[in-house]
Amino acid sequence: MHPPDDLDEYLRGDSALSCQYRRESAPTPPPALDRRVLEMSRAAGDSAAPHDSHTPRNLRATSAPRPCLAPLAFAASVLTSVALVLAIVFGPQSVKRVDDAPRVVRVVAHAELPRPYTNNSKAARPPSAWLADIAALRRAGRNREADEELRRFRSAYPTYPVYPAYSAAIRP
Amino acid sequence: MEPLDEDAKLMLRYRDGDAAAFSALYFRHKGPLYRYLLRQVRNAGIAADLFQDVWWRLVATRGRYEARAKFATYLYRIAHNCTMDFFRRASRLHRNAAADDSDAPSPEPEVPESQRPDVIAEFAEQHSALLAAVSALPQEQREAFLLHEETGLTIEEIARVTDVGVETAKSRLRYAVRKLKKSLLPTAFPDARPVRALNAST
Repeated sequence: MHPPDDLDEYLRGDSALSCQYRRESAPTPPPALDRRVLEMSRAAGDSAAPHDSHTPRNLRATSAPRPCLAPLAFAASVLTSVALVLAIVFGPQSVKRVDDAPRVVRVVAHAELPRPYTNNSKAARPPSAWLADIAALRRAGRNREADEELRRFRSAYPTYPVYPAYSAAIRP
Repeated sequence: MEPLDEDAKLMLRYRDGDAAAFSALYFRHKGPLYRYLLRQVRNAGIAADLFQDVWWRLVATRGRYEARAKFATYLYRIAHNCTMDFFRRASRLHRNAAADDSDAPSPEPEVPESQRPDVIAEFAEQHSALLAAVSALPQEQREAFLLHEETGLTIEEIARVTDVGVETAKSRLRYAVRKLKKSLLPTAFPDARPVRALNAST
């Protein structure tokens, strides 16, 4: 059983524990880190407009397709559809072969190893995870893969500031 | 319907393209967030990297932000996820390194570097007895305590941020408070080694 007053007293906010904690040193991020975060937010603001549903109406109007292109787009869609139907009706018929049966393919999973990143995975993975994997490759002596990953990282995030703690770990 | 807190209004303004609102949010939250991360991972370099990562995720997902709850729960949910990702990555890398070194089996179960007792002690010895005791708490209890002290989150909000039930969050905070109160007693640890004493008692 817990003593009933331990937590209740603490949650009131004036406990000796809270007072002592507030008297302790209160480190804040170094100014260089402040600058990096604020630059990152500015760079993100410059490179990408806010989410479409929240874009102001006047901005959305300027980015809409021009009306004179609409008939051309319609004609192209019709032509593509007709060509597709003709290809299906008159095109060569494939004969189903006996060996078309589904095959079992064995895949060896290396779940524990860092995976190479593709272009479309960059949005799903934060930069720090990517940097950590590069550092892991470097530590494992897989320098060529690490160089390649670093090159991809740099092209995906050209403005992302790498904190000095990581710089030494990811560079050759 | 609960009225929007000031931070949520700022975040909505930022979502809608007001860059100055981000600066205001940043300066309001940078200190507590930095201390939360620093005292969680106990390494200034890693904390700085996670700090950048949290703000990067906030910026990257700003278009999807909806003010459903207090802004702090949204921000610290991101911070919690970043921290958990870091701990998972550190454990995984450590396991891999241990597996590679299979010729020399370790006599003790391996733990990530940031959770090794000597690393914790080294970090803790730079601080007061109370901060040393915070540093020596189990990670979940330390997180509950830091969330309450640094951000003023309630137990329900801590439960939401850490994705556990209210009773679990309450229990974590209760254990943390009980252990930390001991560190305030001058006669509790006559050898002035609060970290080791607390480690031994857990």
